[in-house]
Amino acid sequence: MSGEANGLTVDLKAAIERDHIGDVGVPAGAELLAFTNAVELDHDDIDATRTALADVIGRQATLEAAAIIAIFNGLVRVADGTGIQLDQGVFTASIEERDLLGINEFAGAANSTNVVAVNAQPMAVHDLFG
Amino acid sequence: MSDIEDAQQTVREAMARPGDWLTGKQRRAVWREVRASSSNELDQQRRQALSPNAVNGAHAATAELSASAMEVVHRTASDPGRLTRAWADEHISELGEETYTELVGVTAIVSVLDRFDRAMGRPEQPLPQPTAGEPARVRPDDVGDIGAWVSQTTGPTKANVSRTLSLVPVTNQPWRQLVDTHYSHGAEFMNLRWKFPLSRPQAELVATRSTALNECFY
Repeated sequence: MSGEANGLTVDLKAAIERDHIGDVGVPAGAELLAFTNAVELDHDDIDATRTALADVIGRQATLEAAAIIAIFNGLVRVADGTGIQLDQGVFTASIEERDLLGINEFAGAANSTNVVAVNAQPMAVHDLFG
Repeated sequence: MSDIEDAQQTVREAMARPGDWLTGKQRRAVWREVRASSSNELDQQRRQALSPNAVNGAHAATAELSASAMEVVHRTASDPGRLTRAWADEHISELGEETYTELVGVTAIVSVLDRFDRAMGRPEQPLPQPTAGEPARVRPDDVGDIGAWVSQTTGPTKANVSRTLSLVPVTNQPWRQLVDTHYSHGAEFMNLRWKFPLSRPQAELVATRSTALNECFY
């Protein structure tokens, strides 16, 4: 959705394919994915990928990328550790995408087989943090 | 120092203070165990197994944390994508849902702090000295069953991810501070063309790959 808003065509399937390091339609995408994989998978090229990324997008943007990797390490743990369900609006709106991208195969999908509607329903990622 | 690093410093100190149901010593011990999980043999064997239940063994209690608390911290730190409701129910029954939730929350928070340092090539920081005192031991009035494994706020909020730690408000406050400074940027989160150095599509690309590598369904 943010890709469309910025005039980009993003290859979402490549973005979630864990071994893909290359262009996905986002500026500096290859460098961002290389850095993310290095940090998440604890590879020994964290410093090299961070330097390569900073050369392309600058130091502050690189720090922001590190912050997002870090916070998602927390978000996955609070989401999976407390067993939250996918919000009903997103659940309904993402049926095709989840199937196409293989997300229904993740173990956490078991929490969302019978989603409960609570209050305002987010329909997309930008609705998630109220 | 950036807003991100300012927030981390504040939150780092909060992780050694008395929390909702855990003391400062216990919260610090959670941080110690999160660090240990990356080289803990049992955690690594479980992580590599087809099913974590296929590996025999258990984490022993320490001076600060019961065996059940150790299990919650180690599994949440090392293999969060394969936690199940049956596993959680067992530990919630043992610990109480408030303590269980705080253990998950502190594990998540310190994971953020350490992962950021690793990403930036910085050395692991020493664990903060614990502050004496009693936990708040306050259960919020507005929590209930909304389909998650633990009670969460039933009040107005946009998404379930915003409710995750609402059962433990002392822990939820620094958690929300981290989320806001590291990702959501307050009201700017609604702006899909925000003007931060890392563009919104770039931010979402990093977020997407991170969650995929962690196999997080949400």
